[in-house]
Amino acid sequence: MQRTHEGVNPITWCGIITVTCLVLFLFQKILWLVVPFLLALVLHYLLAPLVKRMVLAGLTYTFSAGVLTGIFLMVLTILFILLYPWMMANAVHFPTVIARYLAGGFSILDALLEPLERHFLVKANFSEALRFEFQSMQQGIADRQVSMMLSTIAFWLPSLLLVPVIAFFMLKEGAYFRKFIGSAVPNAYFEQTLSLIHAIDRVAKLYLLGLVKVVLLDMTMLWVGFSLLEVPFPILLGALAAIVGQIPYIGPLLGCVVALLVAGTHHPGDVLLAYQIIGLFLVVRLLDDIVFIPHLIGKNLSIHPLLSILMLFIGGSIAGVAGLMLVLPVLGVVMLLGKTLEQIITDRRLRARYVFSQRLREREARRDLDSHRS
Amino acid sequence: MLGSLLRNRFEPPHLSKLRVISLFSTLNRAELRTIDSLLHQRDYIKGEIIFDEGEQGQAVYFILSGKVLICRQGRPVDGAIAELGVGQCFGELALLDDAPRMAQVRAADNCILAALFREDFLGLLQTHAAIASKLSLELARLLGGRLRDTVNRFVV
Repeated sequence: MQRTHEGVNPITWCGIITVTCLVLFLFQKILWLVVPFLLALVLHYLLAPLVKRMVLAGLTYTFSAGVLTGIFLMVLTILFILLYPWMMANAVHFPTVIARYLAGGFSILDALLEPLERHFLVKANFSEALRFEFQSMQQGIADRQVSMMLSTIAFWLPSLLLVPVIAFFMLKEGAYFRKFIGSAVPNAYFEQTLSLIHAIDRVAKLYLLGLVKVVLLDMTMLWVGFSLLEVPFPILLGALAAIVGQIPYIGPLLGCVVALLVAGTHHPGDVLLAYQIIGLFLVVRLLDDIVFIPHLIGKNLSIHPLLSILMLFIGGSIAGVAGLMLVLPVLGVVMLLGKTLEQIITDRRLRARYVFSQRLREREARRDLDSHRS
Repeated sequence: MLGSLLRNRFEPPHLSKLRVISLFSTLNRAELRTIDSLLHQRDYIKGEIIFDEGEQGQAVYFILSGKVLICRQGRPVDGAIAELGVGQCFGELALLDDAPRMAQVRAADNCILAALFREDFLGLLQTHAAIASKLSLELARLLGGRLRDTVNRFVV
């Protein structure tokens, strides 16, 4: 997804934005399929080098893909068997625990805002307003049924079990998929279309694997940071904040809020700790933006910042959190497709070759009919 | 003789077609099957343009049936460079770099071609080093032969 906004005409741009919105709308309707498909794509790119090594060692593609995805499925199953009894036993306590952490979070926010209010905003009464908001939020969570949480897990579990299955077929049938697409394209457009598929594959691989590496680096830094600051559950919090942090713009903020909730509960009123946590998130964010993302993901999803923000709003309003996470990669792929299609469609030589080829085929099909008539 | 008989008896017809291609002549059946999974088969009608001079090359083409004409852009009669038949290949430089095509290629007859993309060839280097090295050796021989022909034609 190179800098495609250069040299693309406004009509193509309208098409790109419209198609991105339509894709997001469709994705939102079939999220149960899109999420496992995307996870399978990540798994496929992660396992592909291992499959290649196994194939190089003399094993077949099918066997290698089957063994690796089988191992992954087995690990998932074992994790589920281990976690399920614990979840069932503790499910009833979840609302209380969440309410406790919200209260802890409020205490630290109150401690943060209180000196500011005292010095600058005497009449604003922010603390009072926030206290009221938190109390109603706690009430809401307490009212929610545990069964709702469990039914959500029950809804997602079968789709997530699809992940290794889809990844297996991606590993096994990737080349046949390209052949299948290629067979549907006329000769004149054949090379360009196949090059486009290769380009999308290359960029998606670079983007998704880069994202995984960024998440792992963020997770490690946050884990070390939380451990040094003595914030409880450093690994779990680090992993959660690193994953959520990949939601553009609001993700790091969400991660920071969760960390503050936990810190506020276990160290009530510790304002210095809150500032240290905010500082840690700022450092991680800066490292992401200046070092990791440019090096690991590169400029493959280089989209104008104004367009990014606009599309994030649109993505969020169309498909919620999923829209926020998916909008930029979807826009990147649609941009690449749009640019290439524009090149192909507006290339008069390719079009002329296509028309010429059709005319030749038509003439060939009519040859004996014409000779019979004459 | 016996080998050829057994091969004809047990080898699927589409693999036998690939065996006539000079670049694949040293591959065994399993290796041919691997290559086959990467090849895109295309049908061209007599007179149809396969690619133009100056176009960015992404794939090498192998002739499974029919003939093709390599010529200067838009000059099939007075600009003819060579005519290639079954078993030969063209556009092989696309495997090495993405430089523009050096000539136009047209179908001189109704023909069936198989295309191998550079990305797939580079993938082979990672997964099937034996196949990739055999192909590279044959490719080097082919390019060497063409260089020798050119030298003989213009220097001697």
